[in-house]
Amino acid sequence: MRILVVEDDKDLNRQLVESLQQNGYVVDKAFDGEEGHFLGDTEPYDAIVLDLGLPVIDGVSVLSQWRRAGKKTPVLILTARDRWSDKVAGFDAGADDYVTKPFNMEEILARLRALVRRAAGHASNEMTCGPVTLDSANAKVVVSGKAVKLTSLEFRLLSYLMMHSGKVVSRTELVEHLYDQDFDRDSNTIEVFVGRLRKKLGVDVLQTIRGMGYTMSETGHAG
Amino acid sequence: MRANSLWFRLIASSSVIAVVLLLSAAVLLNAIFVSALQRNFDLRLRAALDGVLANVELGADGKPQVQNQLADTRFSLPLSGWYWQISNGGDGSKILSSNSLLEQQLTVPADALKVRDKDGVAGFSLPDPQGKNLRAIEQDVKLFNDGKSYAFLVSGNFDELKSEITSFQTTLLAVLAALGLALLAGLLFQVRFTLQPLADMQHQLNDIRSGRGEFLSDNFPRELQPVADELNLVMQSNLEIVERSRMQVGNLAHALKTPISVLTNEASDSKSPLAAKVSEQIVVMREQVNLYLDRARRAVRAQNIGAATEVEPVLQALGRTLQRIHGDRQISITVDALPGLRFRGEKQDLEEMVGNLMDNACKWAKSRVLVRTYVVPATPDEARAWLSVAVDDDGVGIPEEKRQTALQRGRRLDETKPGSGLGMSIISETASIYGGDLTLADADLGGLRASLRLPMVN
Repeated sequence: MRILVVEDDKDLNRQLVESLQQNGYVVDKAFDGEEGHFLGDTEPYDAIVLDLGLPVIDGVSVLSQWRRAGKKTPVLILTARDRWSDKVAGFDAGADDYVTKPFNMEEILARLRALVRRAAGHASNEMTCGPVTLDSANAKVVVSGKAVKLTSLEFRLLSYLMMHSGKVVSRTELVEHLYDQDFDRDSNTIEVFVGRLRKKLGVDVLQTIRGMGYTMSETGHAG
Repeated sequence: MRANSLWFRLIASSSVIAVVLLLSAAVLLNAIFVSALQRNFDLRLRAALDGVLANVELGADGKPQVQNQLADTRFSLPLSGWYWQISNGGDGSKILSSNSLLEQQLTVPADALKVRDKDGVAGFSLPDPQGKNLRAIEQDVKLFNDGKSYAFLVSGNFDELKSEITSFQTTLLAVLAALGLALLAGLLFQVRFTLQPLADMQHQLNDIRSGRGEFLSDNFPRELQPVADELNLVMQSNLEIVERSRMQVGNLAHALKTPISVLTNEASDSKSPLAAKVSEQIVVMREQVNLYLDRARRAVRAQNIGAATEVEPVLQALGRTLQRIHGDRQISITVDALPGLRFRGEKQDLEEMVGNLMDNACKWAKSRVLVRTYVVPATPDEARAWLSVAVDDDGVGIPEEKRQTALQRGRRLDETKPGSGLGMSIISETASIYGGDLTLADADLGGLRASLRLPMVN
C-alpha cells in the first residue's frame, strides 16, 4: 500500500511517515501544496493524508484540483481546523475522511485502513480468498485455519492482491504500490516475491497471467 | 410623543412662537381698527361741535344761548349719550347743554385735556351718568368779546359701535385661529418632511441590527451624510476587526495544535517516565487550548452585530458532511428544513451548534437521524420571532432525570463515545448568547430530540 503524506510541519510529517512505514505502508512525503499536488497527480497512491493549512497551495484547493482531474484516490484530511464549516468545505471538496489535530496515531492508522478497504469495495478488515484470510487491522494471515508468517513486503503484496482479487494486477502496478518513488523499479524482483509468497501460502490462489500480471481467485486451489 | 424628542422640540417651540405672534397680531389689528373707528367718530363729533359753535350767541343777560337746536335729533333724546355742553372756561360750571343731557352735567376726567390737536381740540372717553361709554371732544373757545373762555364739549354714544367692534373681533379671531391651525398643519408636514431622513436612518440601523441590511445608504441630506459615512466606517472597521481576530484565532489554533500533535506522538512512542509526564500534561494543555480558543471565538463573535444566516443550506451541508463522516454506519440522515428561514446570528455559531447536535445524534442513532425546522409562533408579549431546529435520532435517548445533567457545564453523560469536546452545555451556552435555548425531549423516532430555539430574521 502506498500512501502520500502532505504536511508542512517537519516533525509531524516525519512522525506520520515513520508510523506508517512501521505499519507496512510505502510512504511518500510532501511539505507544501504544490509538491503534494504534483505527487498526488502523477503517482498511483492507495490513500493520501492531506493537511489543510499548507504553504503555496492550500489543502482544499489541492484536493479540488485532484477531484476535478478525475483522481479517485481516498483522501484523509488531517488539520487543526475543527470548525464545521471547514469540515463541510473539506468533504464538499471531495475528502473521504477528516481528522482534527491533536490526534492519536492509532486513529489515523485505523481510518486509513478503512479508507483503503472501502476504496477497494471491502466492508470489513478481514478479506478472504478461498482458504486464505487476511486481517489488515492485525496484520495476520491465516490459511485453512493455520497462521502463516509473512515478511512486511510479502504481507503488502498479498493484501494488495487480495484487495483487488478477481482483477488482473500488472507487475508495474505492484511495483508502484509496494515501493516508494525512489526505488529502482526492476519488476523482476516482484516475480521472486510472488514465488516466495506462493510457497508460504501453500494453496494455489495466486495465478500468473502471462504477459499481463497476476490475479487472485479462489477457483483453482487444488494444491 | 415623548417630551425629549426632536419632533416634540420643533412642534412645541414653533407652536409657542406661532401663538405669540398670532395673539400679538390680534391685539395690534384690534387696536388699529378701534382707533380708526374712533378717528371717524371724532370727525362726526367735530361736525356736531361746529354746529353748536355756529348756533351760539350771547344773550341779553350776558350769557350764551343757542338759537336753533341741532338738526340731529339724538341731541334732543333724553340720555341718548349724544350731548353737548357749554361750561365756564374757568370753574368748569355748566352754562348750557343739549336737551338730552337734562339736568345733569358731564365732568371731564382729569388729564383728559392735556393733549390737544392743532385746532385746540382734545378727544377723550368718559362714562355718562348711566354708565354708557361716551366719546367726547372739547374745545376752549373765546367766542365773544367779553374776554371769557367757554369750554365746548360734544359727546357721542360710543357703545353704538360696540356691535361693529365685536363683529370685527369675532371675524379676526376666527381668521387668526384658522391661520393658526393651517400653520400647525404645515408645521407638522414640515417637521415630518425634515425629520424623515433621520427616521430613515433609524430604520436602516434597525435593519442592520436585525441582519436585513449591511450598511447605511449614501443618499442622506448633506448634513446627515457625514454621520452616515462615519457610522459605515465604524461598522466596516468593526467587521474587519472581527474578521482579523477570527483569522488570528484560527492561526493560533493551527499554531498550537500541530506542536501538541507532534508532542503527543513523540511521547507515545517512548516508555520513559518523562514521556508519561509529557502525555499527561498534553491532555491538560489540549483541554486548555480548546477552552480558550472557544472563548476567544465567542468573544470575537459577540462583537459582530447584525449577522443573518440562511438556515436551510447550513443544515443541508451539515447533513451531507455527516453522511460522509458516519459513512460506514449506514445511517440515513434526513434534513427537512423550511426554505428561506433565516437565523439572526453568525453562520459559524449555527454550524457549530447544529453540527454538534447532529454529530451526537449520528453517534447514538441506530439507523435514522431527522433534522427539521419550525417557526415558533411569537407570544403576544414578545416582539421577537423565533425559529426552532429539532434534531431527532432513533438511539436509546436520555432518561428524563438525566437530561438536566447533560446540559450542565463540563458534563458528558457517556465518555465511551468519542466527542469533539463540545458537549451539550457549550451548545446550550451559545444558544443563550442569542437569547435562545436548548431543550431535550423524546423523539418520535424513539431516541432523543434536541431542540434549539434561536432568534429569527422576520
